[in-house]
Amino acid sequence: MAKKTAFQSRMKHEKTLNTLALIAVILASLLVMLPIWWIFRSSLMTNAQLFAWPPSFFPKDWLFSNYTKALKYFPFLQYLKNTMTIIIPSVLGGTITATMGGYAFARLRFRGKKFLFSLCVGSMLLPNMVTLIPLYIMWTKGFHLANTYWPLILPYFCGGGAFNIFLIRQFISTIPRELDEAATIDGAGYFRILTNIIVPSIKPAIIVVALLLFIQIWNDLLQQIIYINTGDKFTIAIGLSQFKGSLKQEWAYIMCATCMSFAPGIIFYLIGQKYFVEGIVLTGMKN
Amino acid sequence: MEIDVRKKKADHRLLDGERKTSYLCLIPSCIGLIFLTYVPLITVLILSFFNWKGVGTLQWVGLTNYVRLFTKDPYFIDAIKVTVYFSVLAVFGSILYSFAIALLLNQKIPARGFFRAIFYLPYVLPAMAVYLGWSWLYESNWGLFNYILSFLGIGKVKFIGSPTWVVPSLALIAVWLSGNLIVIFLAGLQNVPRVYHEAAEMDGASGWQRFRYITIPCMTPIIFYNLLMSLITNMQVVTPALALTQGGPGNSSRFISYVMYTYAFKDAKLSYACAISFIFFLIIAVFTIILFVTSGRWVFYQGGND
Repeated sequence: MAKKTAFQSRMKHEKTLNTLALIAVILASLLVMLPIWWIFRSSLMTNAQLFAWPPSFFPKDWLFSNYTKALKYFPFLQYLKNTMTIIIPSVLGGTITATMGGYAFARLRFRGKKFLFSLCVGSMLLPNMVTLIPLYIMWTKGFHLANTYWPLILPYFCGGGAFNIFLIRQFISTIPRELDEAATIDGAGYFRILTNIIVPSIKPAIIVVALLLFIQIWNDLLQQIIYINTGDKFTIAIGLSQFKGSLKQEWAYIMCATCMSFAPGIIFYLIGQKYFVEGIVLTGMKN
Repeated sequence: MEIDVRKKKADHRLLDGERKTSYLCLIPSCIGLIFLTYVPLITVLILSFFNWKGVGTLQWVGLTNYVRLFTKDPYFIDAIKVTVYFSVLAVFGSILYSFAIALLLNQKIPARGFFRAIFYLPYVLPAMAVYLGWSWLYESNWGLFNYILSFLGIGKVKFIGSPTWVVPSLALIAVWLSGNLIVIFLAGLQNVPRVYHEAAEMDGASGWQRFRYITIPCMTPIIFYNLLMSLITNMQVVTPALALTQGGPGNSSRFISYVMYTYAFKDAKLSYACAISFIFFLIIAVFTIILFVTSGRWVFYQGGND
């Protein structure tokens, strides 16, 4: 009898704890969403509403026409096209070369593997910022590729980053080797194993790598600024950084541009979200 | 006998194929590692001993660039302080915030996936747009944060326009952006063996004791990983200065990367900027080494796992 009440009180205790956690999570997520909501609500307001005190949480009459006006100063579609011209080949190249590298490190035996692998992991600790200037010199003075997208794209065809190679390797090592062996008996070569067996079974990891590469390029401003100098080649990030200077006080239009730039990332994330979490989980586990 | 030889030959061919495939697969990565990572690193060091403005011949100057950085440069020493200050705030803020949220999400709550997606969302927004958006929230007269402060009876704060508040304000954005750490922490929490908790509970350990003596030790490898990655990311901070503050007000947000950027790409002092890059590399290396050395004392690796 006493045992039962102890159990019951523990259950009750746990229940209150879970309810408290839920309340805390809801509050925290509201706080995290607040900046995004505030930016969005500001994009739909008139200046009079923006500069009113106290500010209101909801726009009075949702001025979606702000967006069409903002588009006059901020050629979003042009910028989006330019950004995609960089992102699509980079993501493809990065994903393919990272998969190849990860496969070699996970499955194949060859001389110098340990050495190469430690070079690879070591480069994860090397900040990109450090190699910025030599690479700039190489691309602009060595290959004369200033004001083109090549310096932003080509590096992604060279392995797609140590972290991504590592991620693919970890994922491949969770796949039973018997599958490869069975394929070998059936006469498949190592390349066939990669394309027909490994790639289909590590689809989540490949999607994660693609999304991470996407975010990385999406987030970049510095590299784009140093290589691109003419307006017709501007990406979203450069466009935004110039836009603010030209429209000092038109906060509603600036917020419209901000919201438009948020949209593609959110859409991609929502599409790949399931795989994304799965893959991140795996990288977090093994290091 | 003959069969044996044939088998050996087949084995050999198989191994040969394996080697060929692996080299083929690794060609892109090797080019990247050599020409885009390690050669540039050495180039940075070599160039830093010269005087070169992007055109003309190289002129050997020995350690002059380094001496000037530490004795005469108007920005460099302050930039190191500002960058370290920002990184400390951003790293500890992000770790505490994301660990706390991960702990909450690890409770039995409904729609966990939905909440996790919400906390992750800021991470997928483009940095430039994030800083632009937040600059409006930080606006000194009409911004959201001043509105919130007015509830607490605090007068208007200039945030990114104030030398005192600019770095903490930018660090808060970095914390907001750290949703990826939450996902990694949460995964770690779900891997803490349940038996430990059950055993401790049998022995009468309280919730706090279980957290302190089971959850925390089991999580130390993941805390370490997140610390390291978050440190390397935040030390390289440049976008907010580039996008928003231009290093100001005064020099209060002039981060090392931004100083390097202005010297290299505004003043065309390429070799001088290389000296900054190399010092920057050493600073990050020192922090990384300190983390690794001290990790032996507090990081607890479970035997047999992995």
